[in-house]
Amino acid sequence: MSDGGSSGPPLQVLLVEDSLGDVRLTREAFREANMSIGLHVAADGVEAMAFLRRQGANQHAPRPDLILLDLNLPKMDGREVLGRIKEDEDLRTIPTVILTTSDAEADIVRSYQLQANCFLSKPVQLDAFETLVRSMSDFWLTMVKLPQQRHAR
Amino acid sequence: MGVAVSTVLAAGVISYRALVVSIESRQQVRHTHEVLERLEDVRLSVAKIEANYRAFALTGEESYLQAYRASVLRVAEGEAAVRGLTTDNPTQQRMLPLLEEVTEREIQMASLVNDRRRVGGLGAAVDAMAKGPAQPTIDELQTVVQGLEQEEMRLLAQRNADYKRRVTEVKFFLVLRTFLALAIVMAAGWSVERESGRREKAEAALLDCEGRYRASVERLQESASSGSGAKSHVPREDAERQLARMEGRYRGLLEAAPDAMVVVNSNGQIVLLNLQTEKQFGYRRDELLWQKVTTIVPNGFAERLVADGLRSAEEALAQKIGTGIELTGRRKNGSVFPIEIMLSPLGSPDGVLVTAAIRDITARVAAEADLLQKVEELNRSNEELAQFAYIASHDLQEPLRMVASYTQLLSRQYKGRLDADADEFIAYAVDGASRMQRLIQDLLLYSRVGTKGRDLLDTASETTLKHALLNLRGAIEESGALVTHDPLPTVRADELQLTQLFQNLIGNAIKYQNPGIPRVHVSAHRDGGEKWMFSVQDNGLGIDSKYFERIFGMFQRLHKREEFDGTGIGLAICKKIVERHGGAISVESQVGRGSTFTFGLAASQATP
Repeated sequence: MSDGGSSGPPLQVLLVEDSLGDVRLTREAFREANMSIGLHVAADGVEAMAFLRRQGANQHAPRPDLILLDLNLPKMDGREVLGRIKEDEDLRTIPTVILTTSDAEADIVRSYQLQANCFLSKPVQLDAFETLVRSMSDFWLTMVKLPQQRHAR
Repeated sequence: MGVAVSTVLAAGVISYRALVVSIESRQQVRHTHEVLERLEDVRLSVAKIEANYRAFALTGEESYLQAYRASVLRVAEGEAAVRGLTTDNPTQQRMLPLLEEVTEREIQMASLVNDRRRVGGLGAAVDAMAKGPAQPTIDELQTVVQGLEQEEMRLLAQRNADYKRRVTEVKFFLVLRTFLALAIVMAAGWSVERESGRREKAEAALLDCEGRYRASVERLQESASSGSGAKSHVPREDAERQLARMEGRYRGLLEAAPDAMVVVNSNGQIVLLNLQTEKQFGYRRDELLWQKVTTIVPNGFAERLVADGLRSAEEALAQKIGTGIELTGRRKNGSVFPIEIMLSPLGSPDGVLVTAAIRDITARVAAEADLLQKVEELNRSNEELAQFAYIASHDLQEPLRMVASYTQLLSRQYKGRLDADADEFIAYAVDGASRMQRLIQDLLLYSRVGTKGRDLLDTASETTLKHALLNLRGAIEESGALVTHDPLPTVRADELQLTQLFQNLIGNAIKYQNPGIPRVHVSAHRDGGEKWMFSVQDNGLGIDSKYFERIFGMFQRLHKREEFDGTGIGLAICKKIVERHGGAISVESQVGRGSTFTFGLAASQATP
């Protein structure tokens, strides 16, 4: 299935999530939504930054078109990752969507203060979660205009 | 009662006599002044006579003659007045003829000179003047007048001394009277209070007694000054005997008083104390008398009461009447204990005396502290419980989400692809997981009634009902239900929670239905007090009376899951919401006919 966007290569999504169960669920949800994307996973904030900065083993990592970021991560917490991404002149143009279990007002406010592009709270029920992932990827990956990327090669 | 009346009567007698004495003394002073004035007047007039006849002799002018004649008249008036004023004084009366004689001589001389002038002119007048003893007359007059004045002053001084003596006598009795009367009333009041615990009674009695005493004194004063004669001619000895008897009685009562009683003077010294004081503070009576009250009450007593420069002691005390003050008492051995003191002022001519009743409140203070601690513990425990409930439901959700999602994925992916058993097993797993999810969500909702509740503000309940109906429009349309309502009032409520409440109750009414058109009616009436009683009435299945209490419990269901959906927490949430608003919820119902749920909410302060 095509990605519905441009006719170029499939869109790349970086998912920063430490729960394997959640990772698989998200993958299944994308599949349900008929979105064919390149899904990359970082299990904590350190891995995420390494991927984005193409450090070490990530030399040939693609630049993601969308970042899905959980807040509660080991080592480097999601809020810190968000802060670093948005401070970096090069990385800040990548839409960063917070996808987390929390719905606490404090978390929402903090995320927007750190310039998250939007905040999504994971629904408890499977079908609701699937609907959310479909809507979100529809919006950010097909409707929204993304800046022209300079690809690594 | 008899004691109080005779006290008042005796006091009345004493104060009447005091009044008479003071009136007399005022009259004395006035009298003396008048006499002196008149004497002075006579002297001046004679001097004027002197001046005028000489002037006439010199000038022959008529005006001097006229002035002379006027002065002569004044002298006569003055002398007559002095005679009248001093009729009761023999010494004065004896000196008066002397005065008259001297003035007469002066007038004779003047008259002679005047005649000579008129007839013979200046020369004749001068002649006549040279013959008469002009100067000595004036000196003599001076001497006589001074003599009269001195006598008058001596009289005044003597009368003053007499007055002072009588007043001191009266003052003493007055003070004793008042103190003992107050002491007895206070002692009576405290023993009453101890038995019935009503301190106000003692205060009222004191003020009442004081009032009656004052009223009696006033009445007696009025009758004395209007000159209608004394009301009582109680001989002095009788009154004194009565006083002595009553004094004995009062002292007895003071000693028997259950609380420590002390009387403090304006220097902060203890002038009187009773047996209880000795016991409570561990002193002998003679050890405490004339000691500063700070010995037994180190802080807070003396400062406020001794008249400071800023306000009188009476004003300071007026603030304290009727209120117990909590202070610390100190025993002879140095140990301290909490006390409560009640004060009564006592005016006296030498300053303000203060009567204090002192009560040991160690037990009470301990009980209060204990209670406070228990309340704090309870509050803390409640808060912990609320937090626990919230955290538990919140943290349970995560792993549950995994279970529920994956069993559903399993079901989706492998339905019909494994054997029939697998399908059934997976189905039960999925069902269980989703139920658990809903239970936890409802539990969270329930705990949020307390933790996420907002302040109770004036809310138009009719508008809130309409919101709830909007939220239920799907269910209403589906069931074809008819929801009606009376005009609804403004109440004090959390708008969100009130919406929840209406939604749950009306949702239930629609859900638990007989075949046919569900009808729901919402109304409200005033309970005669501060509350509005709301009713949600339906024509549904009804509830057996034996379940009336149970249905408000958590997760209580009366139907099988296959019959009706739901976790059974709806009414528990309703109950919690209503109770948070200060009301109560109940149900009346008949199986097969329908149910009416009733709950109370506080009326808005603004509207009647």
